[in-house]
Amino acid sequence: MNNKKCIGIFSLLILMLLASFAVASLAGGSELKAEKAVYYLFHPNGSGIERDIIWKIRLPRVILGMLVGAGLACCGAVFQGLLRNPLAEPYTLGVSGGAALGVSLGVMFGISGVYIPVFAFCGSALSILLVYGIACRKRFSNPTLILGGVIMSFLFSSLVFFIFSVSRAEDVHGIILWLMGDLSSTSAPLIKIVSFFILPAIGLLFFFSRDINILTLGDEKAFHLGVNSKQVKKIIFIIASFITGACVAASGIIGFVGLIVPHFMRKIVGVNHRLLLPASVLAGAIFLVLCDAAARVIIRPLELPVGVITGILGGVFFLSFLLKVKHWDIF
Amino acid sequence: MEILKVDNLSCGYEDNIVVNDVSFSVQPGDFLGIIGPNGAGKTTLFRAISRILKPQRGNIFYKGRDVGRISTRDFAQEVAVIPQILEVPFAFSVEEFVLMGRFPHVDRFEALKKADYAILENVLDFTDSASLRDRKINELSGGERQRVILAQGFAQQPHLLLLDEPTAHLDISHQAHILDLFKRLNKERNLTVIIVLHDLNLASSYCDRLILLDEGRIFKEGPPREVLTYQNIEEVYKTVVVVKENPISQKPYVILVSEEERKIKEKTCRKE
Repeated sequence: MNNKKCIGIFSLLILMLLASFAVASLAGGSELKAEKAVYYLFHPNGSGIERDIIWKIRLPRVILGMLVGAGLACCGAVFQGLLRNPLAEPYTLGVSGGAALGVSLGVMFGISGVYIPVFAFCGSALSILLVYGIACRKRFSNPTLILGGVIMSFLFSSLVFFIFSVSRAEDVHGIILWLMGDLSSTSAPLIKIVSFFILPAIGLLFFFSRDINILTLGDEKAFHLGVNSKQVKKIIFIIASFITGACVAASGIIGFVGLIVPHFMRKIVGVNHRLLLPASVLAGAIFLVLCDAAARVIIRPLELPVGVITGILGGVFFLSFLLKVKHWDIF
Repeated sequence: MEILKVDNLSCGYEDNIVVNDVSFSVQPGDFLGIIGPNGAGKTTLFRAISRILKPQRGNIFYKGRDVGRISTRDFAQEVAVIPQILEVPFAFSVEEFVLMGRFPHVDRFEALKKADYAILENVLDFTDSASLRDRKINELSGGERQRVILAQGFAQQPHLLLLDEPTAHLDISHQAHILDLFKRLNKERNLTVIIVLHDLNLASSYCDRLILLDEGRIFKEGPPREVLTYQNIEEVYKTVVVVKENPISQKPYVILVSEEERKIKEKTCRKE
């Protein structure tokens, strides 16, 4: 791809990100006139309920949506490249299963509110360490990573169902809502922690984009080209998994973003991860923020879990795209 | 000093030792062919030299250093390895793909420099693939694809080139074209080449020296004229052949004799 086209695409993505930021700040369950919203957006020191809606509810939520969308899409692209597998996504290697188990255990022991993300994150971390341990015993090869991850996911989801079967119905409902993915339980400290974690980690992954390009040729060829495959894969696996873990802890298991956004962006910017990763970051942020805005307005004043919207809206959008383009290479 | 030295090497997979007590050395500028029947250990030996397999016994030295102690990156700056099969699942453009050969020479926090792009042009021209630069690697024909894979290896600017069956699945014109490239680099730049070949006649035409492997050991080592005799080939390959001399190059060439023809010939001999 030539430089001009590249700059054009990235400028467009950045404009779309700003636009979706504006749209999502204005959309919501409560009636709030657009001009008032804009007024308070630029006057953060004002007072009143409208100012609080903008600054305490909507903006944190929009920002969290961007961070999580960016993180999931980036990790999806990374895992698809690293594992050379078009079906890979951030949750393939068991991170989400671990988080679900953590949350289920937490709810079962009567813990709620701000500690739920902590439980989710601990669950993810446990799963990451287990899969890492399994893969390390087998030269960190792709089949072991994938099979190890899938087995751990299955094990964890069985344990989650076990917990369901011995829990009260209202607890189960709470866990299921969390599992579907939800950005509504946002708080300022959570955003600070998550962004402090996710943004530098994504930046770090960018420095590995050439390595990921080369790893798509297989571990042996990558080794011949000077990539210490085993070691580099370990590093990338750990970074991308912890980004995923942080996203899941903050917002539950939001599906689809990490799987389909990278495929879509590959169609637009190509397979080179130096462009694909930043493009996926931007597109993931746009996609999730818009989906979350839709989740807030579709059955106003009630809200849908955003995971449902990413699945339905995203599914319809990308399916129509798939049918429209003549020929969609998976990679 | 020798560029590569293999010293009493034994290696294989877990309990199965495939290469058994092999020693040889390679001088700078050598064009060495490794031949032998299926299962003789050619690819295993190749994988040991290219550091995918660790020796179970013995050592491999590159320019006097044990290859196990050289960092992945340092090794890739000097040695290019072209494996038998390379799957490229992602649709990289030819240019992106060939530039990956510069990876060992470029720092992680650095962009590609002008010099790297000059090398790109150079290897694209050399492999006759400049016109392919914007094509997707997975849309190329077999011959084009192989040229591009080699261009990537040349972009590493290696001192030693390790090739495992680089011309399998290609027609004779592509085979000759690609082997001619190696020969030119060998003659003009003193590039050392170690090549695993199945085709005895290609090995005879291009290699200065051959190693004939049989059951994991070196059966015979030397120039093609000494290695490719019908006695050696019949003993190792268990097949009847006729070895003649190529009228142009005066190198040996090997002709297969089918079972049917052999029996007819035996009958007529008996009658006489």
